[in-house]
Amino acid sequence: MKLRIGIMAILGVAVVTAVAIGLMAGFILRAHRQALLAQLMQGADQISETIGSSTFYDMLENRRPALHREIVTIGAQKGIERVRLFNGTGRIKFSSDDAEAGRMMSEQGAACAGCHSAETPLEKLPTTARARIFRAADGHRVLGMIRPIYNETRCWNAGCHAHKRDETVLGVLDLHLSLADADQRIASDQRQMILLALLAIAASSLLLWWLNERLIVQPVAELIAGTRKVAEGDLHTTIPATAGHELGDLARSFNDMTRRLGEAQRQLTQADKLASVGRLAAGVAHEINNPLTGVLTYASFLQKRLQDRPEMAQDLEVIVRETKRCRDIVRGLLDFSRQTPPQHHPTDLNEIVRRGVAVIMNQLVLRSVALDFSLAEGLEAVPADANQIQQVIVNLIMNAADAIGDGGGTIFVSTRTVDVPARGFTVIRTARCPKGCDLIDPGTRIGRYPGVKVLRRQNDRDTLVHLDPVYGRVNHRATEPLEAGTLASYACPRCRARLDVPEHKCGDCGSPVFAVTAGERGRIEWCTRKGCHWTRCESLDAQGPQRFAEVSVRDTGKGITPDDLDHLFEPFFTTKGNRGLGLGLAVTWGIVEGHGGSIDVTGEPGKGACFVVRLPHQPPAPRPSEAQPRGAA
Amino acid sequence: MSATWDVLVVDDEAVIRDAVRLILGAEGWRVAGAEDAESALSHEALASCRLVLCDMMLPGQSGLEVVREVRRRRPEVPIVLITGYATAENATRAIEAGASAFLAKPFDDTELLNQVRSVLERTDDAGKEERP
Repeated sequence: MKLRIGIMAILGVAVVTAVAIGLMAGFILRAHRQALLAQLMQGADQISETIGSSTFYDMLENRRPALHREIVTIGAQKGIERVRLFNGTGRIKFSSDDAEAGRMMSEQGAACAGCHSAETPLEKLPTTARARIFRAADGHRVLGMIRPIYNETRCWNAGCHAHKRDETVLGVLDLHLSLADADQRIASDQRQMILLALLAIAASSLLLWWLNERLIVQPVAELIAGTRKVAEGDLHTTIPATAGHELGDLARSFNDMTRRLGEAQRQLTQADKLASVGRLAAGVAHEINNPLTGVLTYASFLQKRLQDRPEMAQDLEVIVRETKRCRDIVRGLLDFSRQTPPQHHPTDLNEIVRRGVAVIMNQLVLRSVALDFSLAEGLEAVPADANQIQQVIVNLIMNAADAIGDGGGTIFVSTRTVDVPARGFTVIRTARCPKGCDLIDPGTRIGRYPGVKVLRRQNDRDTLVHLDPVYGRVNHRATEPLEAGTLASYACPRCRARLDVPEHKCGDCGSPVFAVTAGERGRIEWCTRKGCHWTRCESLDAQGPQRFAEVSVRDTGKGITPDDLDHLFEPFFTTKGNRGLGLGLAVTWGIVEGHGGSIDVTGEPGKGACFVVRLPHQPPAPRPSEAQPRGAA
Repeated sequence: MSATWDVLVVDDEAVIRDAVRLILGAEGWRVAGAEDAESALSHEALASCRLVLCDMMLPGQSGLEVVREVRRRRPEVPIVLITGYATAENATRAIEAGASAFLAKPFDDTELLNQVRSVLERTDDAGKEERP
């Protein structure tokens, strides 16, 4: 049988409490009994003193009947069992119990042994030695108190001449007090004490049980339930982490771990999806390439043979061109699955847009979708892979047409040249600590890009923070919030190297800054004060705005929910049900990324969507992380 | 009748064999076809042809096996390997097996003719000069 921690703790504490309280109760009861007895003895002594003094003159003047009456009267009082008077020889001269008058007492009897157990009888005894406790015939306890009556001048001078001068002790007064009442009180006190002890044990056990339930059992049960769920594969499990103690920390770590596992799993799934895309693409390529070869060779052969009939040659030209586009799509799909870099040539973006539109115009007309062009004149040529970019444009327009649906609508396509500043646009793709650890965390994406992972330290408390990888943007994410205005220090989450650069000050509030090294871009700095949005990268700021060729595709369709915005570019993500494979935008994004460009989407449900693709006039060199690993810069 | 052949094309897809026959036939070449490695290696054209075009993915033995065997039997005949997977890795494997050139599917007539002419020119430069 499994003993639960709580039960074991409660049993342990109950035993310890029981022993402690039992010992304490024992000592208290003993002291209480002794005090009560001492008090009773004192009382008995006082009574015997009173009897002694009140009968003194009767004895001195030998008024025997009066003495007898007095003793009987006192003996009849409540609590007093018996009063008797022995003479020096041990004979009972007077007693409240007439039956025993005249009887001789043995020297070894309980009343006499106090003095007579020694060779020479003692004449003086302390109070405690004069007292004795014995049991009466019916079993109740009795306190006996003897009081020697000493010889005095008046005694041996008295007219009766009963006593001689050299006698010391003339007789003994023996008083018996019943202890029945006192014993009853002691017994009742004992019962009360035991009851209190039991209550204390029960109360402490109960308190312990309650604390155990609240502080340990409940959080542990939640942890167990959480781990079971995770074991069953549910990586969306979170457990309430409200407790401020170690179990709360454990719960927070657990949640953090589960979240990371979930992200790792999603990435694996993603990788798996991409691998499936690769296999699918390879299979499709092989199957489609044969018929395409047939179409292409026969069409191009015919085209040459029919050069004297231009109207047919022109139509064949369309077949050849579009078959080649099919070929390029298949190759593009293969390229996407293999992530090969595009072949850059100076390209007229407007021309690509026109070519792309020409291919799908018929479909758009059939679906009553109108196209509205706003192409910038004299657009500068941009280095790009024309086929890939045409595919991007066709994808975006077909996507827009799907969003519009059967009801009809308009797609606005526009191109222009824009100069975009690095702030709010450039993505930090390389970030390292001073010792060279990679800080880019593909496990946590902010927007579509992996965050920059750093460790925030404040009051000995470490928190993981993911910095927004878009330069100048501040959608940072932290596992725990920090109160605005407070300062923190920052470190590498792997090697704990400090990222703080105390000699540099924030340009807005003057607080210290921290920095990471972003490849050839040099240092990127952030303010250490929570709530201050200052950030700086000298090389990015110095290079000024970058020139981009921009094409935007806006539609009047059903729009996009905020939730879908996050997943739009994932492979196999589709809002079209069975009608879409969910690869179009993934391929699109792969192509644009391959060009070093950006693709942004805005939209709300019911208000249409707008995709903006920007291609850089100066595409970046292959990423440092891919070209060559870099250490600390 | 014992025909002499200029080109042997090996592909399991009839449309590819027909297309090659159409394009190269128009140029005056006599083109024989085989649908797998076994029939290719036992084809009479193998003894007389001046060029072998072979698909990389064949049912049964792969195109690379055909390349090796042709290279062994007729080292002077150039071989063009045709593939639907135009990757650098496949190209390397083809060249290692002894192929002279590499043609990615889908191709058009110009690409086919250019590739065929270029391998034949290279072979002719090294050997005898004979053109139909």
